[in-house]
Amino acid sequence: MESVCSGILILFLSGCCALFLSGRKKGISLAIGFGLAQFFLLPQSFYVLLSGKVLESSLQFSEPIGCVSLRLDALSALFLIIIAVGSLLTSVYSIGYLRNYKGSENNISTYYFFLGFLAASMASVVIVQNAVFFLFVWELMSLSSFFLVSFDHQRDETRKTAVYYLVAMQVSAAFLFLAFGLVSSITNSFDFSSFGEVFQNNSSHGVIAGVLFFLGFGVKAGFFPMHTWLPRAHPTAPSGVSALMSGVMIKTGIYGILRVISLGGMQSKVFAYGIITIGLLTALYGIANASVQKDFKRILAFSSIENIGIIGIALGVGLLGLTYNNSIVTLLGFAGVLLHTFNHFTFKSLLFYSVGIVYQETHTRNIEYCGGLVKQLPRTAILSFLGFVAISGMPPLSGFVGEFLIYLGIIKSISIENFALSITAVVALIGMTLTGAIALLTFTKTFGIVFLGSPRVQSEQRISEEHHRLELLVTLVLAVPIVVLGIVPFFFIPLLTQMIVIVHPALDEVALQYFNYSVKYISIAAIIFMVIVLGAVLLRRVLLLKKSVRSFKTWDCGYQGGSSRLQYSGSSFIQLFQTLLSPVVPQKKIVVQEESIFPSSMRFESHTYDFFERHLLQPIMQLINTLLDKFSWIQSGKLQQYILYGLLFLISVLIWIWCSL
Amino acid sequence: MIPILLQYLCALIVPLFFLGLTNRVKAVWAGRKGAPLVQPYYDIFRLLRKGEVVSTHTSFIFQIAPAISVAAGVTSFLFLPFASGESIFSFDGDIFFLLYVFGIARFMLILSALDTGSSFEGMGASREATFALFVEVGFVLLMGTLVLATGEYSLARILTAFRAHGEITSIVRILFVVALFLMVLAEGSRVPVDDPNTHLELTMIHEVMILDNAGPGLAFYQYAIALKMFFFAFLIAHLCIPFSLSSVVGILLFVLVIGCVFVGVGIVESVIARARLSHVPQFLFLIAALSSIAFALLAISLRGGIL
Repeated sequence: MESVCSGILILFLSGCCALFLSGRKKGISLAIGFGLAQFFLLPQSFYVLLSGKVLESSLQFSEPIGCVSLRLDALSALFLIIIAVGSLLTSVYSIGYLRNYKGSENNISTYYFFLGFLAASMASVVIVQNAVFFLFVWELMSLSSFFLVSFDHQRDETRKTAVYYLVAMQVSAAFLFLAFGLVSSITNSFDFSSFGEVFQNNSSHGVIAGVLFFLGFGVKAGFFPMHTWLPRAHPTAPSGVSALMSGVMIKTGIYGILRVISLGGMQSKVFAYGIITIGLLTALYGIANASVQKDFKRILAFSSIENIGIIGIALGVGLLGLTYNNSIVTLLGFAGVLLHTFNHFTFKSLLFYSVGIVYQETHTRNIEYCGGLVKQLPRTAILSFLGFVAISGMPPLSGFVGEFLIYLGIIKSISIENFALSITAVVALIGMTLTGAIALLTFTKTFGIVFLGSPRVQSEQRISEEHHRLELLVTLVLAVPIVVLGIVPFFFIPLLTQMIVIVHPALDEVALQYFNYSVKYISIAAIIFMVIVLGAVLLRRVLLLKKSVRSFKTWDCGYQGGSSRLQYSGSSFIQLFQTLLSPVVPQKKIVVQEESIFPSSMRFESHTYDFFERHLLQPIMQLINTLLDKFSWIQSGKLQQYILYGLLFLISVLIWIWCSL
Repeated sequence: MIPILLQYLCALIVPLFFLGLTNRVKAVWAGRKGAPLVQPYYDIFRLLRKGEVVSTHTSFIFQIAPAISVAAGVTSFLFLPFASGESIFSFDGDIFFLLYVFGIARFMLILSALDTGSSFEGMGASREATFALFVEVGFVLLMGTLVLATGEYSLARILTAFRAHGEITSIVRILFVVALFLMVLAEGSRVPVDDPNTHLELTMIHEVMILDNAGPGLAFYQYAIALKMFFFAFLIAHLCIPFSLSSVVGILLFVLVIGCVFVGVGIVESVIARARLSHVPQFLFLIAALSSIAFALLAISLRGGIL
């Protein structure tokens, strides 16, 4: 356990090193420091995962906080691995990303410092078992990510987005303060291990605490009503930070929910049905909004919301299994949560990294200005192709394995005896399939419009991958688990089972056997499919060996007009879907046209907006703002008024003491 | 009994013949004599012998997409139960594997269409991706209902168990058969979803996405469509015939039902026109609607009443 603590300390100190060095040495020192920290963090994590033992230690503080216990069990170990590896990859990626940064060097120093801070605080979140200390490192995590999001703070928009993000994180912290406060006051202790008694016997305190915990961790994770910060913050941050936030940081919310479940919380039918409903809404809302975006980082941000929704559905399925005492469904549900968490980390980070390379070369985040990049950025294209296929959940890559486990858990709940459960399961099934189908739409659009076809805008500079070898290396590292976990997932099953035991201690042999068998068969099926695909590809090659294969332009009915703008654009691709689903993804059109006999200039703009944010959240915020504006006279800025407040306070305290004597 | 691998190979060869049957029905209905029943085989072999024209805009996606389509069709047949009631390969939840294998074939087809940079193909890709929503939801709802009906979780066992259940009412069986027939029309890109005869803008969904393919690539795509249609017709035949298939009579009846499905496709194509684009989602939604009615009826009948 001491080595884990030293690892975290090294993560923090590497960030500090960046303050004192100059130029390229900043990034390199951070990357070396993070790499060194891996040797302290990873071996212990794998040891815990494989052996099922628990590492414990404690820190002694003075009385209000007391003894803070630190604990690395299998659940923390998975998240620690994700955090450690994700931070290392982002630090290496940032070296490449910031190479051409032409702003001030102070910005770069702050960036690296807070990257170290963020990595250290995230790693601490998953091992701390004391409420006060947990909230302390949680707030540190939010603050350091705030500074990272505001990297480009010279721009107005970045500042506004960063403040929005900070406020959302404070809302999360507020709920967590309430939740921990409630639980600690009942158990008179800050240690997690004593929280179990609050959740026993379905007491009302347990239910309220469960709801508050879910809201607090849910804001961080990005579940449906509380997701509005995600599509603002993730595109604004630099690509490496977006990858870290999307792939790693929102998972700490999932860690929190799983930790509460492992302590006994949220284990009732109401919670199970509630979480599965919220998960479904989140997934559908996220992917529907992702499909209509034009900014590829916003597409990825909304897709993170969708994947968190899928993790929520899996959580709900696991909880349903727990409350209905079906151990196979429980195992499949929680296995789906953990596997999908890890998978999403791999492919979302990969996509943000490759999209960062595209942004650096094309200097635009708008997909409508890209096109044909597969010829100019071939390796980026192949890696993003793997990422997009995986995130759509297609076999034989790893995304399918996670989703398959969730699907299997859902249909295993369909049974004749329990009607409510079957209906919920069928609705969940429809929801997940719909999500998968809209995801297919979204990611074919994104990959197709950005990389395929011909360039929609002629750019003067040459676009090439030569200067991005480091970023490509990092992206390649992430492609490995995607492919390996897709084809041979059964190597990782022993790791998963230990983690599930933390959450659901009463796991039985039958369920484990069934789980092993399912994963083994999926692997065989994926391998058979790959073999048949390779066979078909070879067949086509063999057939074409002695035949003529001519290169010519695309068939264009004789005459295309010579413009690459005639290709289908992203908005055209999505238009049919958008008209079908217009209540959920409303579109605002601005048409400016002069009235004249002959065609004259015309202007057309269309924007899709988040209907929940515009029609529900913003009116509420407006209302609160108007109410609070009435009290703005309290902060007038006049020093004399503030002295008067101090005087009034002293007088009222004196009166109070005099009256109580 | 004929070994299962041989039956699998027969199943791979036969779909093109049934496609020829559909074309013959359409021709006879229109008063023509029609091409020979084995014409699709001649077409495929002719295409396999030709070379290709590859567009300069395309990339590796264009090269591998036809192979993935055909591989998806061939893989899906591994899960179908043949005469002895067993399939070559089956496991719990393989219905989702099948759904996603068809999904990746569709994914690659859409990308291959966008790869060419042609606006025709982009249009087809956009429509295909949108209509896939309804088809997939319908398919999953159908499978969910079958899981409820039989209590089994793998395609082969579901189909054999469904045959063994005597108390499933005929109405539910009819609903399943109609829903699956609509799926044959949808997945096979037939009228009223798409018109396989033309490549024009108004009717194009599937035919236009393969506009730039030629030679072996085109042959693969045509074969893949035939395989998909045969897959769903196979499911219809399993759900229609209420008794076991081990005897020769059983197999003949089976082939007869599949033939009827393809003849039915031909008749539908001759009688009605392709639906207006905005009506196609409504048509596809019928699949999900029929499956949900079947689900409700089954749930009520299996539980012996509401609640």
